Amino acid sequence: MPNKLTRLILGLLLAVVAGPGLSACKILPTPSAQGGDSANSSAFSPDKKVEEIWATKVIPYLQQKAGPFAEVHALAQTDPAGAGAKYGNPKKQANSSWTFAVRVEGKIVAANTQSRAATVDVDVDGDGKADARVQIGPAMRGTALRDSLDFVQFNDFTNQIDFAQFGKAFNAHADKTVLSKLPRDTLEGRAAKVLGAYTIESGQDLPLVTPAEAEIGPKP
Amino acid sequence: MKLTRRMTLAAFAGVLALGTAMPAYAADLIAIITPSHDNPFFKAEAVGAEAKAKELGYDTLVMVHDDDANKQSELIDTAIGRGAKAIILDNAGADATVAAVQKAKDAGVPSFMIDREINATGVAVAQIVSNNYQGAQLGAQEFVTLMGEKGNYVELVGKESDTNAGIRSKGYHDVIDDYPDLKKVAQQSANWSQTEAYSKMESILQANPDIKGVISGNDTMAMGAYAALAAAGRKDVIVVGFDGSNDVRDSITSGGIKATVLQPAYAQAQMAVEQASEFIKNKKSPEKEKQLMDCVLINADNAPKLETFALKN
Repeated sequence: MPNKLTRLILGLLLAVVAGPGLSACKILPTPSAQGGDSANSSAFSPDKKVEEIWATKVIPYLQQKAGPFAEVHALAQTDPAGAGAKYGNPKKQANSSWTFAVRVEGKIVAANTQSRAATVDVDVDGDGKADARVQIGPAMRGTALRDSLDFVQFNDFTNQIDFAQFGKAFNAHADKTVLSKLPRDTLEGRAAKVLGAYTIESGQDLPLVTPAEAEIGPKP
Repeated sequence: MKLTRRMTLAAFAGVLALGTAMPAYAADLIAIITPSHDNPFFKAEAVGAEAKAKELGYDTLVMVHDDDANKQSELIDTAIGRGAKAIILDNAGADATVAAVQKAKDAGVPSFMIDREINATGVAVAQIVSNNYQGAQLGAQEFVTLMGEKGNYVELVGKESDTNAGIRSKGYHDVIDDYPDLKKVAQQSANWSQTEAYSKMESILQANPDIKGVISGNDTMAMGAYAALAAAGRKDVIVVGFDGSNDVRDSITSGGIKATVLQPAYAQAQMAVEQASEFIKNKKSPEKEKQLMDCVLINADNAPKLETFALKN
């Protein structure tokens, strides 16, 4: 009796250990249930989605959340998480940098329109020195607008590609509707008024602000 | 009855000794499955995961699938058969892997994905991946600046079956295509391989001697391309890679390759093991399944601080 039982248990154990070999015959569910996900990925239209939420959700959110640049930046230096909770998306991805909604108002003290990633440097405190660098397109860096929004989460997207293209769609929309209409010549000395967002990055000369709304005043 | 139990135990121990050579104490087992360790990136993942698992008191089973989905499926069977309590997996294909991970889940073994996503949620417990798209954008922005926003360039693409090859290429073009004066004269896959990149670069250079830059989907291909360019006396060509390997770091500090993008591979693998341990011990899943880790641009300014896929402070 013990022998039989032992043999039975031994047999069962062998079956478990030999599992890899046996399971080759196991019928596995086909991954067809996931087919919908990949299909969605190609159907996702980031430009259209941004267009839908821009005026109804994005601009109101930025208007409500943004702080004056000097204030936001001062808090960002001492308490980035606190600044993130107040001016940005507290539910951001784990190791990503904080992004803040911000208003930049001041005087343009320098401009780089040679690059396609054109920028203007703005002095907000009147000391004659640039405090923030504002992107005026057409090429733009980063995904600050997307990352400042607390209602946009990576987990709501099928994959990185959709998430990234959604990020770029914000920049493209800002360029198309706002930045492409800005003047490009003799920008120095003019007033600038911007509503946008920026991300803290190491090795930056100046905080790089991506506008959602921007105005440049007349020549002085 | 007593005899039975003793014999059963003896049989059990015998089977285990034969089949798995487990140590006498029965620590929980974590399986760590990655592509081949020939690429130091995947080795760093395995080493990082193993170190953390041992630190937390687990036994480990380290295996490689060589980017072969069938082999990966067999390895997952092995992990299940060996009674692994969790699987740390850098997978062999976003679609092909879903069934394999589901199989593990059905057998009660949770999977924690690192480095690459799968095209399904709710199957793995966690998917901790580098933000390859964000990293590619960083690399491309540096490339555009180095190129002075104009000139002919070549793109070397990774293995087609690997999700990240496509993601990085898209990320590169997302940035580069905004600059109409940058002209892509060739785009070829060198399958992540240094030797293949060397030979592809040789022939591309013969057909296009007027190139100014090469942007590569990973560091091993960047190393191969730069070696071919140097052999042809074209060290002037700007080369940018991706991964943040020690080889490319050394090339950057000696004025060869210009930049790369660091994926925090070591930290990522350790984070996956921490989450696996949390799941095993406390049945606690991470707050979000999909977790993105940002990449960091590496150039001459910070290259000296890079060591084994991590930046030292």
